[in-house]
Amino acid sequence: MAVSGWFVLLLALGVLPVVVLGDPGWLMAWLAIVAGVGAIDLVIAGSPRRLVLERELPKRVRLGETVPSTLFLTNAGRRRVRGIVRDGWQPSAGASPSRAALDVPPGERRSIVTSLTPFRRGERAAAEVTVRSFGPLRLAARQASIQVPGTIRVLPPFNSRKHLPSRLARLRELDGRTSVMIRGQGTEFDSLRDYVRGDDVRSIDWRATARRSDASTGSGPRLVVRTWRPERDRRVVIVIDSGRTSAARIANEPRIDTAFESSLLLGALASRAGDRVDLVIYDRRVRGRVQGTTGAELLSRMVDVMAAVDPELIEMDWAAVPGLVRSVTNQRALVVLMTSIDAPGASRGLLGMLPQLTRKHTVVISSVTDPSVLDASRARGNRDEVYRAAAAERAMLDTTRVSTAIRQLGADVVTGAPADLPPALADRYIALKAAGRL
Amino acid sequence: MTTNTTLTPTIRRATRKSLFWMLAAVFLVVVALTVVSLTGAANSGGTPFSATNAGPAGSKAVVQVLRQRGVTVSVTGSLTSTITALGRDRRATLFLYDPNGYLDQAQLRSLTGSARHIVVLSPTFAQLAALAPQVALAGTVTKKSLASNCSLPAANRAESVTGSGTGFRLIDKTADAQQCFGSGKRVYSLIAVEHLDGTGVSLLGTTDVLSNEHIAERGNAALALNLLGDSTRLVWYLPTIDDSAVTGGPSIADLTPPWVGPTMTLLAIVAIVAAFWRGRRMGPLVVENLPVVVRASETMEGRARLYQRGAARLRALDALRVGAIDRLAAQTGLPRLAGVDEVIGRVATLTATDPGDIRLLLLDAVPATDGELVRLSDSLLELERAVERATRPS
Repeated sequence: MAVSGWFVLLLALGVLPVVVLGDPGWLMAWLAIVAGVGAIDLVIAGSPRRLVLERELPKRVRLGETVPSTLFLTNAGRRRVRGIVRDGWQPSAGASPSRAALDVPPGERRSIVTSLTPFRRGERAAAEVTVRSFGPLRLAARQASIQVPGTIRVLPPFNSRKHLPSRLARLRELDGRTSVMIRGQGTEFDSLRDYVRGDDVRSIDWRATARRSDASTGSGPRLVVRTWRPERDRRVVIVIDSGRTSAARIANEPRIDTAFESSLLLGALASRAGDRVDLVIYDRRVRGRVQGTTGAELLSRMVDVMAAVDPELIEMDWAAVPGLVRSVTNQRALVVLMTSIDAPGASRGLLGMLPQLTRKHTVVISSVTDPSVLDASRARGNRDEVYRAAAAERAMLDTTRVSTAIRQLGADVVTGAPADLPPALADRYIALKAAGRL
Repeated sequence: MTTNTTLTPTIRRATRKSLFWMLAAVFLVVVALTVVSLTGAANSGGTPFSATNAGPAGSKAVVQVLRQRGVTVSVTGSLTSTITALGRDRRATLFLYDPNGYLDQAQLRSLTGSARHIVVLSPTFAQLAALAPQVALAGTVTKKSLASNCSLPAANRAESVTGSGTGFRLIDKTADAQQCFGSGKRVYSLIAVEHLDGTGVSLLGTTDVLSNEHIAERGNAALALNLLGDSTRLVWYLPTIDDSAVTGGPSIADLTPPWVGPTMTLLAIVAIVAAFWRGRRMGPLVVENLPVVVRASETMEGRARLYQRGAARLRALDALRVGAIDRLAAQTGLPRLAGVDEVIGRVATLTATDPGDIRLLLLDAVPATDGELVRLSDSLLELERAVERATRPS
């Protein structure tokens, strides 16, 4: 039960009879009157237990977007239910408004719309709906919490999709280039076309030109050149480290979220380029896996798998990664490891495992760098800042040493600030594709 | 139509759920009340020298023995009932113990007219002035044992008593008084005098004589029984606050209108109800697991503090130097694996400075103070800027 402000006010009005009539007996009389009226109001209030509640909710929402959650309340009781409803969403579901007024006559149904703007990735759940039903005098209320479960999956925002059109355009430019410009072993023969001024003369296919001039009836021989296109149907395996180092925040974004952004952009790009993309999120066990999906479904599967994964406070088990990649594909593939390269000591596991991967695959390691470290190395105003700058320089040296070691082991390193890493990784992919190294 | 589970328990369910605890609470209260009523206030001190107090500080023992010996003991708590109990025949003995001084002079004097013999335990200054003006207080007596050494029959029979308590001194040498249990320097623990209107007044300073705890020691019991049992009726009077004379003007309650009290009560109730109104929660809190916020730069900050705490100036400077040399090598177009001597030579050529100075800055200088460290780090930045200016295509 609960009481309203009106009840308190009514009780306080008892001062009038007590003062005006001057008899202390009025106090007890007034208390009895107010308690009696309140009790009657409470008894004739509609029971919130007789409400039948249903929830209508979209299954997914991208982080930062707003979706409506509709609650239907059917009054199955005999009395009108008037009062306040609270839909008990978790705080980070960003429900607004948190309270709503309600007035349902018996046998009728009302809907209450709450808009959800989640501000954290993952599964957001609603625990229960609390209904406070006032009596006709609005003095006292019955209250009950009713379980109406509902969950909504908040997907990674994929903010880096703004980089996708420009990267796709660059990918398209790779098509139809002549062989000289991309003389790689992996390029495939695409088509024959007429020579236009500017084409490399070495790419002229003389045999085709001869055939063409035979067939042509008109004005002399027309030159034909061969064109090439980047190879297709290659494998891209993305391994995301969800161990303890991925929980650290850079520019208030956990490393794993940047890794998700990068892999979404890479996945979108590579699937458009005709490659097959597989994703594994791993620390000591497989936390998420997307395999054998192509086309438009790939991205939705990827965000769905990523949504519920949070970093765990355990060390990444690098020794198991080669076996993991082998379980995904036996072919040569581009293996992208999304992790952090900090100190030589912490990267020992990664460095020890790398030769096994680089022997067969092209390996790219993508790591987020902290822009604040670079800033700290430049600010040397006073004593404290000089020591900070020294520590920042030391951190950058450590990163450089690990990167050098990784390059010596035959892998590639892509680093960048959280906002820059996804496009940088996409560019590296396009460069590798153009060079025919996939 | 779906059915929902209501989480809030109904009144019946809530009662049934908490029934065990409510019964347990009732049981505990009953047990506690029973135990207290059975043992009485024995464990606590209780009112000292109360005739009904069986605790160590009480005097139930002596009262009980007096009753067995045929003395009628009536216990009183107010002046009027005491005077009624004493009766008009002036044959009863009065025991008075009033350490808080509730009775004023006039009330004390009204007692002297009604009793044959008054035994005052540990009298205060005001009580002495009213009952025995010829006797004064003489401080605390801490002796273990006191011998009677007087002709008073009750004291003679006791021979010796426990000494601790207050002592008295006779200041009017001409007065007719019997002094017993002396502890030297004319200080006595029991003085019997005659009041002006013929009532005998015994001033008893040794408090242990009457308490349950010490009554069995030495001659305490003999003294107590003989002193208090000298007549067939004894009135045991411990004044209470009701006896104190009313002083001062009218109280606040007399001055305010009659509705003030009820209004205050009502406002207090309103405050409680308002607290319930505002404090009633709209359903339980919703639980959510929150992520830990760890900034990636924490390790860098920690290392900086370690350098500073340990005054690792050379180590800090070396980190700055290695970074600077790497950047200088890149800036001047040297390969990454170039030695530091090559870098020094190239930089000296570019900036037209003495290679020795640059060598000192990049390799040899050892900072002795933090100020020197800051100065060297500034010089490193300055050098980098100079090289950048020199190599920038203009």
